[in-house]
Amino acid sequence: MISQFFVLSQRGDHIVFRDYRGEVPKGSAEIFFRKVKFWNDDEAEEAPPVFNVDGVNYIHVKVAGLFFVVTTMVNVSPSLLLELLQRIARVTKDYLGVLNEDSLRKNFILVYELLDEVIDFGYPQTTSTEVLKSYIFNEPIMVDAGRLPPLGPAAMFMQGTKRMPGTAVTKSVVANEPGGKKREEIFVDIIERISVTFSSSGYILTSEIDGTIQMKSYLTGNPEIRLALNEDLSIGRTGSSSYDYRSSSGGAVILDDCNFHESVHLDSFDIDRTLTLIPPDGEFAVMNYRMTQEFKPPFRVTALIEEAGPSRAEVLLKIRADFSANVTANTITVQMPVPSYTMRASFELEAGAVGQTTDFKEGSRRLEWNLKKIVGGSEHTLRAKLTFSQESHGNITKEAGPVNMNFTIPMYNASKLQVRYLQIAKKSKTYNPYRWVRYVTQANSYVARL
Amino acid sequence: MSGHDSKYFSTTKKGEIPELKEELNSQYKDKRKDAVKKVIAAMTVGKDVSSLFTDVVNCMQTENLELKKLVYLYLINYAKSQPDLAILAVNTFVKDSQDPNPLIRALAVRTMGCIRVDKITEYLCDPLQRCLKDDDPYVRKTAAICVAKLYDINAELVEDRGFLEALKDLISDNNPMVVANAVAALAEIQDSSVRPIFEITSHTLSKLLTALNECTEWGQVFILDSLSRYKAADAREAENIVERVTPRLQHANCAVVLSAVKIILLQMELITSTDVVRNLCKKMAPPLVTLLSAEPEIQYVALRNINLIVQKRPTILAHEIKVFFCKYNDPIYVKMEKLEIMIKLASDRNIDQVLLEFKEYATEVDVDFVRKAVRAIGRCAIKLERAAERCISVLLELIKIKVNYVVQEAIIVIKDIFRRYPNTYESIIATLCESLDTLDEPEAKASMIWIIGEYAERIDNADELLESFLETFPEEPALVQLQLLTATVKLFLKKPTEGPQQMIQAVLNNATVETDNPDLRDRAYIYWRLLSTDPEAAKDVVLAEKPVISDDSNQLDSSLLDELLANISTLSSVYHKPPESFVSRVKAAPRADDEEFADTAEGGYSESPSQGVDGASPSSSVGTSSNVPVKQPGAGSPPAPAAMPDLLGDLMGMDNAIVPVDEAAAPSSPPPPVLLPSTTGQGLQISAQLTRRDGQIYYDISFENGTQGVLDGFMIQFNKNTFGLAAGEALKVPPLQPGATTRTLLQMVPFQNIAPGAPNSILQVAVKNNQQPVWYFNDKIPLHVFFGEDGKMERASFLEGWKSLPDDHEFTKEFPGSVISSIDATVERLAAANVFFIAKRKNANMDVLYLSAKMPRGIPFLIEITAAVGVPGVKCAVKTANKEMVPLFFEAMEALTK
Repeated sequence: MISQFFVLSQRGDHIVFRDYRGEVPKGSAEIFFRKVKFWNDDEAEEAPPVFNVDGVNYIHVKVAGLFFVVTTMVNVSPSLLLELLQRIARVTKDYLGVLNEDSLRKNFILVYELLDEVIDFGYPQTTSTEVLKSYIFNEPIMVDAGRLPPLGPAAMFMQGTKRMPGTAVTKSVVANEPGGKKREEIFVDIIERISVTFSSSGYILTSEIDGTIQMKSYLTGNPEIRLALNEDLSIGRTGSSSYDYRSSSGGAVILDDCNFHESVHLDSFDIDRTLTLIPPDGEFAVMNYRMTQEFKPPFRVTALIEEAGPSRAEVLLKIRADFSANVTANTITVQMPVPSYTMRASFELEAGAVGQTTDFKEGSRRLEWNLKKIVGGSEHTLRAKLTFSQESHGNITKEAGPVNMNFTIPMYNASKLQVRYLQIAKKSKTYNPYRWVRYVTQANSYVARL
Repeated sequence: MSGHDSKYFSTTKKGEIPELKEELNSQYKDKRKDAVKKVIAAMTVGKDVSSLFTDVVNCMQTENLELKKLVYLYLINYAKSQPDLAILAVNTFVKDSQDPNPLIRALAVRTMGCIRVDKITEYLCDPLQRCLKDDDPYVRKTAAICVAKLYDINAELVEDRGFLEALKDLISDNNPMVVANAVAALAEIQDSSVRPIFEITSHTLSKLLTALNECTEWGQVFILDSLSRYKAADAREAENIVERVTPRLQHANCAVVLSAVKIILLQMELITSTDVVRNLCKKMAPPLVTLLSAEPEIQYVALRNINLIVQKRPTILAHEIKVFFCKYNDPIYVKMEKLEIMIKLASDRNIDQVLLEFKEYATEVDVDFVRKAVRAIGRCAIKLERAAERCISVLLELIKIKVNYVVQEAIIVIKDIFRRYPNTYESIIATLCESLDTLDEPEAKASMIWIIGEYAERIDNADELLESFLETFPEEPALVQLQLLTATVKLFLKKPTEGPQQMIQAVLNNATVETDNPDLRDRAYIYWRLLSTDPEAAKDVVLAEKPVISDDSNQLDSSLLDELLANISTLSSVYHKPPESFVSRVKAAPRADDEEFADTAEGGYSESPSQGVDGASPSSSVGTSSNVPVKQPGAGSPPAPAAMPDLLGDLMGMDNAIVPVDEAAAPSSPPPPVLLPSTTGQGLQISAQLTRRDGQIYYDISFENGTQGVLDGFMIQFNKNTFGLAAGEALKVPPLQPGATTRTLLQMVPFQNIAPGAPNSILQVAVKNNQQPVWYFNDKIPLHVFFGEDGKMERASFLEGWKSLPDDHEFTKEFPGSVISSIDATVERLAAANVFFIAKRKNANMDVLYLSAKMPRGIPFLIEITAAVGVPGVKCAVKTANKEMVPLFFEAMEALTK
């Protein structure tokens, strides 16, 4: 099973190192780091998450800029190890509030205590923060989260909703508040990552939504919770072919597939689409879902590149926000690769543009257009003039593009999946914990071809 | 608790250990706890705090669980190096294992199992026996894993004490966690035993299936993986198992999903009803696709597995090709795998869509990905006859963009397309010829030349085109030379005119006289003889019709595929290699691939066409005492380097007092040799030697104070030496009480102050302290401390390196005093000194080992060792460009093989 577990910083320093079986020769962390750093003698190419050097198997994930690694000498399930690494990161974050090099170093004794309970002789035992609580005695030491860049999906709510207490997402699940009493609250986040590919003529070639209902509970006494979803939600496309996904019916939400956390009871799911669960402490995904049913993409992207003389070209980028005006997308980036022989680019923003920046990345031959925010219903354009170092071969559209877009839209979800209500079993009449139900949509791979 | 744990890292002032010692013995509980934390902090950054063993163990008897856990963490780390002291902890362990608190009972049994000291193991049995029957499930599940720990230390003990039976009983436990751990422990024990220990009967089967529904996700994976070894009796039972396992496909944990998929696929083999099979395929598709929504790391594992699954059952995902289209932000390792699966799923129905994607990919930035996309188009053309034409037109479009590597890749695949569909698409040759002069990669060049030769009669200026390539014939790589030779012969046979005639003369001359590549020479001679004796026969041979190639996208052969499918969701299915090729059950000696290497090495070497490594052996019959290897006739014998090392030794006035001792593997190495005897040092004795640990060079130095007073203020300096070795940090030696000994590792850095002149191994050392005069003594630098951990070479690069070095770079020496009593032990010992084993070969009763080592900034040593096991006398040959180091090298090797 697992021989060693270690966490390395980006520079390769040991932050945590635990050997469970003493069978891997010394220096494995260094061997791993060198291999990952110089995969294929090429810093640009990323090492695959699973590889073997001299009989030792190294399995790793990158979380919060850190390498979480296990080594093993036997033929185990790599997906088990990858899941475990993600889960260790999550449990650690539950305990420490913030996961980074600093917080790990400050809490190394707690982390070792956790690791002893999570893995025994290389076998994963439990990764549930709830269960672990009864075996862990060290108290977390908080690092100052204020100065740290927020991490994880919850971080995107920071800018989005003003109502949210800023520190909530970075507070430890187990540590007591300074006042001694914990605030009773529960967060339910519906996070959707959307992928859309537009053809050169603007048709949607592929579209997909990967969604997660994430929960983080700070409720004491673990009351039962009922989570109600859209009544007309259905699972499994009837045609079972991805070619006819356009023929979706009216307003119903049709998921291709979904899965649930082990604490979820599905007894009444088939009847009224409600999930019942007693949420364990810590952050976890209540439900993951996937949808290829046709949906309205939040942005329309049009890109044009035209020759303007023997060694010049003009680029026109246009984005239109196809959502309601009371929703605002933020941190939008539009990138467009241009022919490799492009020397210069000059930009022309629309009149009165605010919070927009442009850049020509010479190293990667890319135009970059950043917009702080886009209000629903608005349209923005960017013009750029390119100067080439040679004459083009007359097919610059093939050598430029595709346009890629990144964005976050708080309080918007493309799938129309809704949490109709969130019911918490009452302990007393005065018991009324805070409930946060938040929606956010992010671009995963949002691409327009030329 | 206040303050930050990280503060424990910051105490680096002198006298840390005595200070900690004092704190550990403090009467205050908090102070003791803080001290243990400091000790652990020092331990994690690699400092040696083993000297505090007794003091730390004294803190063990405490009610405070937090402190107890810290002490246990320390114990696990150091018990092995202090076995005699570890026994002190046993009483507390045994007592703890009967504590009323289940956490303490479990902690004791968990920790004892991690202390791999034989003496402790004996005491472990009784507490373990009790804990296996404990009332508390947390204790039982910990005890179950402990049985596996014990088996790893002492298998006999486990069997004698009946722990295996106890473990099997736990399969029926009412707590699913306990069941899962019992299953995991039994599976591990089974893996390291040849006897059947853990056999799943239909009875255990139903138990396991029940536990499956209740245990944690990790437990589910253990159970599912054990179930995958169960062979169902008939179709009905198989269907029954599948039915119970199918709900696991809905699990959020990808490992559970993949393990469930494995079982379903295995049981499907037995199921006869086509309806059931079709239905199962339908059920598996969505969860498999959902895996691609996970983190990219998991996607990668999923894709490698899906690659195997679609080879066996293409229908499962036949309609899902779109989900394998590359996303903009996919890491390159995910994109590559998706491409592979797209080719496998491409069909007449979806090929247009697929080609559109490939065309996009072929204009992306990443060169490797682009090449693979171009190749993918070609592979689709070969796979799908009806789509071939469309594929070719996409390739031609790409060639027109004139991106160099795209053109070259396209030409390589078009050659294959010509072989697949002869006499169909030759009209495009003209377009290909336009790009002729941009080709600079051997494979693309060779492909183009093949095309010209094959279609010489259709290309009007074939002779001119070939001639342009011929100008650089001597400089071309072998691959291109071979193609040029064949193509010219084809041209001559097809157009026996004056031009080609002259060309063939030139080529044959080049390929027979001016080359030293035997492949090329042999082929040229065959052509030559054919052409001169019977040109018609030559035509029959050279222009014979070639067999049509077929689609290679399902490249795994079916037996390997079946083996890999049985290993779905394991590392084997990610590497696409059978488990035995990368896993060894040999503990602590991770030389996993020795045997495999040795096997293939034999084949590889005997086939090797050149003399290189091989040349030395066959003719040097047993008893030939000459240490000059018999080489190709004509090759001069290398200069005899003999005598040199001994001479050096004599010069330095040293005898065998300082034989470098190999210490690498053991954490507590034997004491270093005495360099300054107490008689010379007025009571101070210094022992020291250079050693390498974790890639660093250290001076392992120990001081023994035989004077009547305290000695302090120790400092050390090194004279200029061949390697410029100097101290990398200040010498940290605490004040030394009379009669006391201290030992420390001083980090050394090379290339600081390099002494000019011929290399030698002398290291002059000066040590002073506040009480005595300065002491000087000489040490010897064993070359192998410089051998890097990265010195292992692949077999191919070794062979290549050996061949490319001229013979006067080869040196040989006999070590008459060395004996190899076991190949494995020697290989292991050499590996510990970073001399890495590559292959071995038997030659009569002699074993020949090939090894490599590497100096920093330097050039590798390619090593051949010949010896008969158990017979004194080892012959060592080395090839290296680093000639001047050779005497020192032999010195080191002799010491390492002694």
